Amino acid sequence: MRHYIAKSLFALCSLSIAFVFTACSEDFPLDLAGMFSPQGETIDTRFAQSMSYNDSVGEIHLNMQQDNYTIYLCSDSHITRTRHALLSYFIQQYEAAASPKLAIHLGDLIDAQKNYACADSILNLGGRSINDTLFITPGNHDIYYWQWPLYRELFGTSVYWFDTNNGTQKLDLFICLDSAEGELGQQQMTWLRNLLEAKAKEYRHVIVFSHTHMWKLDASQETTSNMALEATYEFTSMLAKYGVDYYWSGHQHARQNVLYKGVRYIVLDATKDTERHPSYAIAHMSDHVDIEFVPYPEQ
Amino acid sequence: MRKLLIFLITLCPLALLAGNPGFGNRRYALTVMGEYSYNRTWSHHGNLDVQALLPFNPHFEMEAKLQASTANVYTGAVQLRPKFEMPTGELFIETDIMYKAVARNRVGDITAGLGLGYRMDYVSVMLGVFSRVMDDWDRDWHSEDTYVVEPFNLMYRLEVFCRPQDNPWNLSFCFSNMDDFQMERMWQPLFMVGAYYDINDHWRLNFGAQCKPTGMFHLDATFYGATARTGFTYKF
Repeated sequence: MRHYIAKSLFALCSLSIAFVFTACSEDFPLDLAGMFSPQGETIDTRFAQSMSYNDSVGEIHLNMQQDNYTIYLCSDSHITRTRHALLSYFIQQYEAAASPKLAIHLGDLIDAQKNYACADSILNLGGRSINDTLFITPGNHDIYYWQWPLYRELFGTSVYWFDTNNGTQKLDLFICLDSAEGELGQQQMTWLRNLLEAKAKEYRHVIVFSHTHMWKLDASQETTSNMALEATYEFTSMLAKYGVDYYWSGHQHARQNVLYKGVRYIVLDATKDTERHPSYAIAHMSDHVDIEFVPYPEQ
Repeated sequence: MRKLLIFLITLCPLALLAGNPGFGNRRYALTVMGEYSYNRTWSHHGNLDVQALLPFNPHFEMEAKLQASTANVYTGAVQLRPKFEMPTGELFIETDIMYKAVARNRVGDITAGLGLGYRMDYVSVMLGVFSRVMDDWDRDWHSEDTYVVEPFNLMYRLEVFCRPQDNPWNLSFCFSNMDDFQMERMWQPLFMVGAYYDINDHWRLNFGAQCKPTGMFHLDATFYGATARTGFTYKF
């Protein structure tokens, strides 16, 4: 507790001092305007543009050929032009894994502006199609300070769903939400409610993933904020009501595993080069979902 | 320890703003307030607040608070506040316990906090920690489900007043992660404005407004909710 209070006090103190001394990343000085006003398109705009993109490309149904498959999960890679070894390693592991498989990045792909070119190169986005098996949800670092147009150019959408099948019947439903600014917005919540109401019962597992985690269970990272409490009550109740099995997220940089109202909330460790205990996860999808955390090798 | 010292140093200039305290012992009081509130989750809703202040003696007071919301959320809170006169103000220990019955989502949210504060004529500061337990009303004792515990959160409040505490009117600006009926996570601050006017020796007119952004520490803040309140206090 003493450690926690000291960290909290330091973080609060940093907030005061940060108005004078600011430096966030190697690529751009931290502009604290982001603490007081939106720095780019807000969630309702991003949602509308995402829906428009989704309509233009159609639904994504992945044929896994069989009932069992694996999902490679990572989060918070925060890559820069010089710091991306762990994400590169993750992609190598994923590419080398046996099919059927898919991969999901749970946000904060890049650390700040000017790093999307590097991300593009590591993820080999140019060589992938809309039905490819690498999915992503935006984190705050991916879209703040007017980066949404760059994100949109690379990935097209921040709110979408896809499902898997074995060639004859549906398997699992995956829903990606945009919580990059710590808020889902009314339009996205309505879309989610309607989608779950219409589709959730048709699938073996229903998995929702987004960047922002739900609870502040420890002080593993000082300044990762959650959604507002009202949004937490409402969102967690909605997931429970429609029988969602899992909510996967990142943001906290430290793993969590909580079963609340019948929904399993998994938070991933970071895939950031400078992290003390980085890891990624492999979800083994069958009639059960088994999550295996895999530490990265020492750098 | 060095980090703690840095923090205390940043607070020291605030102490220089202190004037004579002059607020003395408060009286038993009952406050009734009506609120209009909006947030992006519950949309438009109204709240009715009832608060009782019970200053048992010069060194100990208690506040009991109830709020009913048209959003189908009900909150009860009790604050026990030992306090000690100091040369330039009043040192107090804030102990809070709050239960929020989120009936619309069948969730109970209980928070308990302990803080240390110092109130002066123009500035009041408080810093402490609180814990939260969030639980599902329908959780089966035999299920694998758990309640959620957020063990340690920082609670803080910095309030600046335009007039001394014993003035018949006042205007205040407050930055905190808690108010009378909510204790938010430490990275979810609330910005509040408050005002009162003493109509006579017994009746006080209160006004208040609050803005709640979200995503401040995502560095992509956006508006989340706002509240406006007004009501009367009767001082016995």
